Amino acid sequence: MTSILRAKAFVLTIALPLLYLAGVSPDAPASLTLVPEAHAVVGAPLTPVSAAGVARRTTRRVVVAESSATQASAATTATAQQQAATAQQQSATAQQQSATAQQQSATAQQQQAAASRPPGAPAVGAVVAALPAGCKPETRNGIEFQNCGGVYYRAAFQGNNLVYVVQ
Amino acid sequence: MQPTVHRRLLAALSQCIAIAALTTLAAAAHAQSAGVAPEAKQILKASTDFLAGQQRFTADTRNTLEIVLKTGQKIEFNSTGRQSIQRPNKLRAERTGDLVDQVFIYDGKSLTLSNPQEKIYAQVAAPGTLEDMLDFARTKLDIVAPAGDLVYKNAYEILMDGVTEGIVVGKAVIEGVLCDHLAFRAPQTDWQIWIQQGAQPLPRKLVITTLDLPNAPQFAITVTKWNLQPTFDAKTFTFTPQAGAKQIDFLPR
Repeated sequence: MTSILRAKAFVLTIALPLLYLAGVSPDAPASLTLVPEAHAVVGAPLTPVSAAGVARRTTRRVVVAESSATQASAATTATAQQQAATAQQQSATAQQQSATAQQQSATAQQQQAAASRPPGAPAVGAVVAALPAGCKPETRNGIEFQNCGGVYYRAAFQGNNLVYVVQ
Repeated sequence: MQPTVHRRLLAALSQCIAIAALTTLAAAAHAQSAGVAPEAKQILKASTDFLAGQQRFTADTRNTLEIVLKTGQKIEFNSTGRQSIQRPNKLRAERTGDLVDQVFIYDGKSLTLSNPQEKIYAQVAAPGTLEDMLDFARTKLDIVAPAGDLVYKNAYEILMDGVTEGIVVGKAVIEGVLCDHLAFRAPQTDWQIWIQQGAQPLPRKLVITTLDLPNAPQFAITVTKWNLQPTFDAKTFTFTPQAGAKQIDFLPR
């Protein structure tokens, strides 16, 4: 049963970005969350906040959709909406879509490479908007990391948004 | 048989000509309505010039930002903020709201972005003037200051870039202050600005409608209080990390 769930989570990890690429609402099960924090949807493409910003608007980088069994258990309807918002924003420009495609293929490669990491672990270098549940801070060489079930994350600002980069 | 076809062709041709003529008329009418009313330009220019001439000021603001969900549903986020500016090279912007509590400080040499609740901050060297710093923040770090256009000394040129139409809508009262209400159109955006009447033509409200996103979401910023003689102290433009605060990086764009 557990292995089936894990396999399902893994398949969804690969399949969901594809759905976003197609600009189709994934209608993912409500139990699957991609972006659990509201601030993840702001600062993405985007209601511009300056008139000049509209004309000068450039492509925003995309916070990679992450799905894992840990997050799946923490999902709510509200986060499903936010996820939909992210999907909307991700489909806003073709450039972003191709960026997603690159990140997604990187995800697939790295997932194959990192066999020693926990199953369903996000790709190294992936950027997520929120940490999964049950993380513990850990300091290495004076830098604070979050240890989330064996996967390490480091906080960073992406634009105005606090995000976490998978190590 | 043959003449009937001919008549039909002629009828179709004359219809085409009529439609073409109507289209031309409509285009002409449109061309007439397009353009920016001189009075709208004049009121806006007076305001941006006035603000460019202010060496120190604070503006307390109330912001609303609409986000369109995939379903088409609009969600509105609210925040309040205080912007403190000292030309040519100091800025502090604080905002508190639904999404995040954040402080942005520019001291003329570096800029710092801090989330006090999460006790984290990032700092990076920045250009030496407000204008260059705002460009740097937007192009290199993806940080956009809400309504930051207004802070530029050449705000008028920035705002009017690409504008095709502009009118004076009329009089309006914003936060109890009598204003001129202006409305402008550009290819991807409609925007409206309310400018205080009298000797201090301060912008009181700005609404930006984004036309190239589904359901045309809006961003609105209302200035609840202007202070043109603020008292700044050494702390205003200096970032001091709180106890236990962790420094993080800006992800390169």
